[in-house]
Amino acid sequence: MISPRTLRNLRRELSGSLLAKLGIAIVVFVILMAVFAPFIAPYPPGSQNLEEARTPPLGFTTTETREVQVIENGSVVIENGEIQTENRTVYNNATAAHPLGTDGNGRDILSRVIYGARTSILVGVFGTALAALVGVTVGLTAGYYRGRIDDGLMRAADVMLAFPSLVLAIALVGVWGQAQLRLPDPFVLLGLAAGWRDALGFPEGAMPETVVLPGTVILVVALVNWVWFARVARGEALSIRGEEYVKAARAVGASDARVIGRHVLPNAITPIIVLGTIQVAAIILLESALSFLGFSGANVSWGFDIALGRQYQSTSWWISTIPGLAIVVTVIGLNLIGDWLRDALDPGIEGEGGV
Amino acid sequence: MYGNETGMDGDVTDDEVTSPGRAGTDGAARTDGGTHARTATTAGTSDGFGEPVLKVRDLRTRFFTEEGQVNAVEGVSFDVREGEVFGIVGESGSGKSVTALSLIDLVDSPGRVTGGEVWYRDAELAGETADSRPGAVDGDYVDLRQVSEGVRRSLRGPAFSMIFQDPMTSMNPSLTVGEQIAEAVEVQRRARANPRRTRSRTQGYGLGQFFVDSLLPTREYTSEGSEARAIELLEQVGIPDPAERADQYPHQFSGGMLQRAMIAQALAGEPDVLVADEPTTALDVTIQAQILNLLRDLQEEQDTSVVMITHDLGVIARMCNRVGVMYAGEIVERGTLADVFEEPVHPYTQGLLGSIPDLEDPAPRLQPIEGNVPSLIDSEMGDRCYFADRCPKAMDDCLTRIPEYEVTGADRPAGVPHQVRCVLAEREYDPARALSADYFGPDSAREPAAADGGGAGEDARGSGRGRSRGATPDRGAGAGDGHGDDGEVRTDE
Repeated sequence: MISPRTLRNLRRELSGSLLAKLGIAIVVFVILMAVFAPFIAPYPPGSQNLEEARTPPLGFTTTETREVQVIENGSVVIENGEIQTENRTVYNNATAAHPLGTDGNGRDILSRVIYGARTSILVGVFGTALAALVGVTVGLTAGYYRGRIDDGLMRAADVMLAFPSLVLAIALVGVWGQAQLRLPDPFVLLGLAAGWRDALGFPEGAMPETVVLPGTVILVVALVNWVWFARVARGEALSIRGEEYVKAARAVGASDARVIGRHVLPNAITPIIVLGTIQVAAIILLESALSFLGFSGANVSWGFDIALGRQYQSTSWWISTIPGLAIVVTVIGLNLIGDWLRDALDPGIEGEGGV
Repeated sequence: MYGNETGMDGDVTDDEVTSPGRAGTDGAARTDGGTHARTATTAGTSDGFGEPVLKVRDLRTRFFTEEGQVNAVEGVSFDVREGEVFGIVGESGSGKSVTALSLIDLVDSPGRVTGGEVWYRDAELAGETADSRPGAVDGDYVDLRQVSEGVRRSLRGPAFSMIFQDPMTSMNPSLTVGEQIAEAVEVQRRARANPRRTRSRTQGYGLGQFFVDSLLPTREYTSEGSEARAIELLEQVGIPDPAERADQYPHQFSGGMLQRAMIAQALAGEPDVLVADEPTTALDVTIQAQILNLLRDLQEEQDTSVVMITHDLGVIARMCNRVGVMYAGEIVERGTLADVFEEPVHPYTQGLLGSIPDLEDPAPRLQPIEGNVPSLIDSEMGDRCYFADRCPKAMDDCLTRIPEYEVTGADRPAGVPHQVRCVLAEREYDPARALSADYFGPDSAREPAAADGGGAGEDARGSGRGRSRGATPDRGAGAGDGHGDDGEVRTDE
């Protein structure tokens, strides 16, 4: 499937580009983090400890001025019928137990970022796959048949584009509710994670046995983003359709399905792959936005955690900022990979061109 | 002689050619001196071919563009007989390729075949169609313009196949050559497994099937049997190490090898009619000769009829039994190779033949046909002979639509039709009725022929041809009456 020349182009572009290597490193890191979350997360993502709430990340200390009741001899002081208060400075010190700090309920942010990667990767990959399946099918059909079929399908795509995607997503989640699929986590169910954690002396606590697959969110992001795949696939199909080899295949009696599947699609796949990489990033962002607004239904998600930290923003910046950074880094990594694939696979940009 | 001009014939020996009919044609292509016997030989053998497998009647193809309606094919009629090579020759833009695509129904939007009949001989299909569409059946012939799209598609491969001009772009770069040929074999294998009736319905336009294919990507495109057959086919077209070559991609093939592979692909369905659209144009001359020889050998072996589309008169002279000359979407002259090449009636044919150099008798200057092919846009065409604005012999008769005239002559054998769309078939050129030089506007390149003493009939044609070439002296092999004609032209100079 992948020709030696394509491999050579991929390798050449990779060796010449630090950014491409960085992108691959980031994305591989995030994927490993998501897959092996039960092994590396120090705490279960949901375990709360109010006494340790709002611990700052390592290297930071926060001071806070609080109004506290004045206590003398073990009881509050009451003057003129009112409880006396005074302002005191309270110190919050970072602890090694929570290297990235804790949120407002005392949940470990590092653990939540590690588990949040699962949601983001699942939604990004499945959402993109679904969007690509729908979009590429529609686009190839429109581009190959042209005429009225093209007009009909592309007007539908234009309508999708004309909608603000976030508003559409919110409306759809509102209509369909938050269907979820709970996938079992084999590492936890087989006891592998527990054994590993015991051996390393991680804090106690049952890791969640399932991974939440937010079905509605995946459908919604696919429905919002298929249009891009449709437009790219249509453009490719339009130009490939005019190639002589398509005519030659038709001249020996190949059916349309065969021509599209075997002659048009393989020659249109390169820009679709490049678009797919970038769409994963876009869909992760959209998922975060939906989670932030509370429509995701996932209880561990980068976007959801940003929303949780919003009320503490003035005093505890890290609760929102750290999951935000996770999103930014992942999206940048995916875009760097997208750029690398585009440079290596797309003959139009530079180089001698692919097959 | 015509072969020589493309530099092909000299390099190639044709000793493997045994058919007497072909030998006659070949003689016309290869020998340098004209002989009187040749005309008779070629004409005689063209009678030896069987019934027509394909009868095209009044075929019309239009392109609906923003500039207006383009009449790319305008009432084309011809027959292709069993086992013959029918040539269509013409300038670029004369509609030859569109004619080819129209035959196998591959004209793409904004083009459309708007009229005419394509009668294809297939007794089985005729039987099946007779009930549902009696109007589309005439004996063993079925009018493919009246049957469904699905039936037409089912005929691509087993009935018609096509070889394209540029082998480099006619092969999918992302599939191996073997896979692509195997695909053509596979398509036919599956088609045979389904009776045509169901095929026409289920495979008509496979939108539903496409969705099935997208959802089930594991569906196999080719089978082992068809891959083995593909290797056989590659061997048949003379590709060395066919098994190894089948696994290579098109970019690993040379142009000539790839054209051989294209031919193998086109032959996968064992077609009755093979349409070759400029099969040698993209190749260099030595490879051209090889490909033409290969085509001819395969054509004889499989008794396929070939429609050979080219702008190269050498290819026509070398390959064809009968020929049609296309101009502005019409076939202006058609007949046996000898009739058309040696006794052309239409001034356009004469001009075409006059515009090629002759090694035997080099002329100081070649005589081009002045002007360009008309735009073919409907509104600009008007009711006239489309060649009139470039024709040195245009008369006031030429300002109406010209029907096809049958060329008659005392020494013409019976049953060898020679048709021409020109009034000169019926009457001689009369300078008194000639259109003035600027009749078609001051920019017109036309220069009316001077008064001419030539008589009617054969004589007028012979001398007319000489004059249309102006300074080009006639070549010995030219007209049917040979040296007499030469003499006449030389006195003109």
